[in-house]
Amino acid sequence: MSEGGSIPDAILATLETLVNRYLSLDPEGAARLGDLQGRVIMIELAGFGTRVFVIPGADGLQLFGDYAGEPDCALCGTPLALARMGVSGQKEDQLFSGEVRIAGDTHLAQAFGNFLGGLDVDWEEQLSRLLGDAAAHQIGVQVRGVERWGRRTSDILTQDIQEYLQEEARLLPGRYETQAFLDDVDRLRDDVERLAARVTRLANALGEGQTDRETPAPESDAQRIDMHRATCRDRAGE
Amino acid sequence: MTDEKNTHFGYQKVPVEEKAGRVRAVFDSVASRYDLMNDLMSLGIHRLWKRQTVELAGVRRGQRVLDLAAGTGDLSERFAGIVGKGGEVVVTDINAAMLARGRARLVDVGVAGNVHFAQVDAEALPFSASHFDCVSIGFGLRNVTHKQHALEEMFRVLRPGGRALVLEFSHPESLPLRKAYDLYSFSALPLLGRLVAGDADSYRYLAESIRMHPNQETLRGMMEQAGFERCDFFNLSGGIVAIHRGYRL
Repeated sequence: MSEGGSIPDAILATLETLVNRYLSLDPEGAARLGDLQGRVIMIELAGFGTRVFVIPGADGLQLFGDYAGEPDCALCGTPLALARMGVSGQKEDQLFSGEVRIAGDTHLAQAFGNFLGGLDVDWEEQLSRLLGDAAAHQIGVQVRGVERWGRRTSDILTQDIQEYLQEEARLLPGRYETQAFLDDVDRLRDDVERLAARVTRLANALGEGQTDRETPAPESDAQRIDMHRATCRDRAGE
Repeated sequence: MTDEKNTHFGYQKVPVEEKAGRVRAVFDSVASRYDLMNDLMSLGIHRLWKRQTVELAGVRRGQRVLDLAAGTGDLSERFAGIVGKGGEVVVTDINAAMLARGRARLVDVGVAGNVHFAQVDAEALPFSASHFDCVSIGFGLRNVTHKQHALEEMFRVLRPGGRALVLEFSHPESLPLRKAYDLYSFSALPLLGRLVAGDADSYRYLAESIRMHPNQETLRGMMEQAGFERCDFFNLSGGIVAIHRGYRL
């Protein structure tokens, strides 16, 4: 279809192949597609205006550039937000921050998001098909060791850098200092707002005083008294 | 196209009653390597042509689709996904070997439940009138002896509002492309056929039958004659392939 905004078929076909190949790496995860089978999910990439219709099948997804009927649910967001929603465990964050909009069957959208987020490929198992169990396990152990070392090292490094910058070089303030500073900023902001409100009120009172002189007489005694009281309050305030 | 007693079989003239048998022989011969050959011959682009056909069909959930000359079921597979559990796709082919391949392939990819299989001659459909929301024929009309009959039958089984999709090789629009295409299909194609499927003649027939197939405008005229309305066609890959679409209103 040469409709504006639709993704070229070739890209869609490639994407479909890639997605399904990825799904086939996690057969247990892909089996959960069964519940979604035949539902139509529209994904709209905000900013690009492109739409993809996803129809889950028995063990894979079909992607379409166009669907004649009404989709069951529509997800709309920037590619980044959609990707984050698919990957992260806390999809609610993306929803409530308004980064991803959902229309239609929200339960379906949630289920689809859970499906994507719940995919967990067992790389060791995939590797064992090529190299055999023993070798794959050895590699798996090594990789996990490297992963653990990497995580620990990065944690320690972060902590050390933080300490150095805050405590030794004194380039950055500590947490309590920051908090106190932020409190001060809040107080200052409130004070400024109060002052602004007061100035406005005084200006109004001044304006009213002038109109008072111009108009011959207020309509009623009650009004005159009100106005007088307001003026007195302002003067007392000064 | 067809006189009383003879019809085309590629560039040859054969008696009408023989064509179906000869076409069957061709497809019996290529059935086992059909998908591989398609990928090789079209460099995989046939998948895109088929995707496009399904998108143009505008099928929705719960609808009934008839896929004629389904072969290994590429169109049916996508249709089955769209119509969902409440819908129905009837996968048909005149050739038992091809149909068996298609059935096995669809089962292997997990398409089941809403698909039915039938060995069917496109010229005499064993379905009641006004039954389907969409009828498709992908790379099949070329091999049908009486194309006009087939189109009329497609029209008959369609419900009002239903549409027919004809995906078929057609005639390239530009001269350079036509020359290159001729060169490719009469030298490279039979060679590929001999190397991969061990059968050069069948692939020569494919190339010849493509040349004998009516061009875009003629086929549109034939569809209109069969009763279709709002007929249009979409040239793909410069007209090497065209998708014809017509509605029964």
